[in-house]
Amino acid sequence: MQDKVDTRYWRFCLWMGPLFIAVFFVCWGILGDNFPPFAPDTPAAEVAGWFRGNAGSVRLGMVVAMTFAPAYGVWGYALAKILEQTIEKDSILVQLARVGAAWTTITVLVPTSFWLTAAFRPEALPDWAIQMLYDMAWLLIDLAYAVTSVQMFALGVGWLSDKRAVPLIPKWLSWYGIWVGFMFVAECIMPYFRNGAFARSGVLNFWIEFLIWMGWVPVLTLYAFRAVRRIEAQ
Amino acid sequence: MSRSEQPGDSGVWFFIFADMCTFALFFLIFSLGRMAQPALYEAGRAQLDLMLGLANTLILLTSGAFMAHATRQARGGNWTGARRSLLTALVVGSAFALTKAVEWATKLNHGIGLTTNEFFTYYFVFTGVHFLHFLIGMVVLGVLIGRCRRDLPQADRLRWLEAGGAYWHMVDLLWIVLFAMLYLQRAA
Repeated sequence: MQDKVDTRYWRFCLWMGPLFIAVFFVCWGILGDNFPPFAPDTPAAEVAGWFRGNAGSVRLGMVVAMTFAPAYGVWGYALAKILEQTIEKDSILVQLARVGAAWTTITVLVPTSFWLTAAFRPEALPDWAIQMLYDMAWLLIDLAYAVTSVQMFALGVGWLSDKRAVPLIPKWLSWYGIWVGFMFVAECIMPYFRNGAFARSGVLNFWIEFLIWMGWVPVLTLYAFRAVRRIEAQ
Repeated sequence: MSRSEQPGDSGVWFFIFADMCTFALFFLIFSLGRMAQPALYEAGRAQLDLMLGLANTLILLTSGAFMAHATRQARGGNWTGARRSLLTALVVGSAFALTKAVEWATKLNHGIGLTTNEFFTYYFVFTGVHFLHFLIGMVVLGVLIGRCRRDLPQADRLRWLEAGGAYWHMVDLLWIVLFAMLYLQRAA
């Protein structure tokens, strides 16, 4: 007889995903004024002026966003536990799903520290330095997409190999994750544009890319809770 | 169509739907741009090689026809024939990479690149993203060829063949729309 799976703390860890998205949206997006960002062709004086006038809210936003960044990793580890119930525990896909989540945490932590640096003493920094920090942060957070794609591909491929008549995670959602991971490739063209749909503030490379990822987290969490209920009932 | 008659895997259809939505957005962005600058878009269109675009269309359609034939053969239990048809689809389809490379290289040699103007930005980005889909399709075809030989349950093999076929036809369809939009459609 199969041992009962110890699911203690799984739900708590799963809640970390939507919590991360909520905190990230408010702190990084609203307080940090990154939702949407300044277009790349915005003059340095305008970006620097905004940082000088709003340094307090940016600092608060980035400090809280950095504090909650590991929540994404915690959520990702809980998903990997569910993945273990569909494929072998020592499958490389489980490991990739974990490291993908952990790496994504880093790619949130590092750029937020750049925005925080820009807001730390903006009155002492020249306009170009603030603009450079702002650009660096955006280039990193966008171009580090591939680490999140690793997590999405590993989860998607793993869950698609679920042999149950009704899979723990629906197939459409597994494919959706793979599609989002694949769509992130569009970020590669972001450094070539300072305006338009493909710029960091554009309809594709900002609105579409961020929203399809930010929507994936709570929807997947909902189905993950259902999966935990089924695992416990087995 | 009832659920049991749906070819392939239901999840793949979701992927295809999501991908088509992305391209629909691309087409919308392009159309809005052309409405704003019709002369620039028309000048860009005139610089594209219509014959190469047409060759690419025919290559993908022929490859897609072999893919469809492979599915029909597999449904009839003829897996050896299906494998041959898939191989033909792969070989014919690979010519698309060659013609695309020639077309891009010619443009770059003439000093036309991603940032030349808005028309060519869209041209390179859209055909580039489509090319990525094409490369994945080539890998999918290779995997399907391998699966034809493996001793797997008929239903399982057929499901993945149909799913791969649906994806490959999507690559065809997206190219046809790109061809019409970039090469054929004149500004009003």
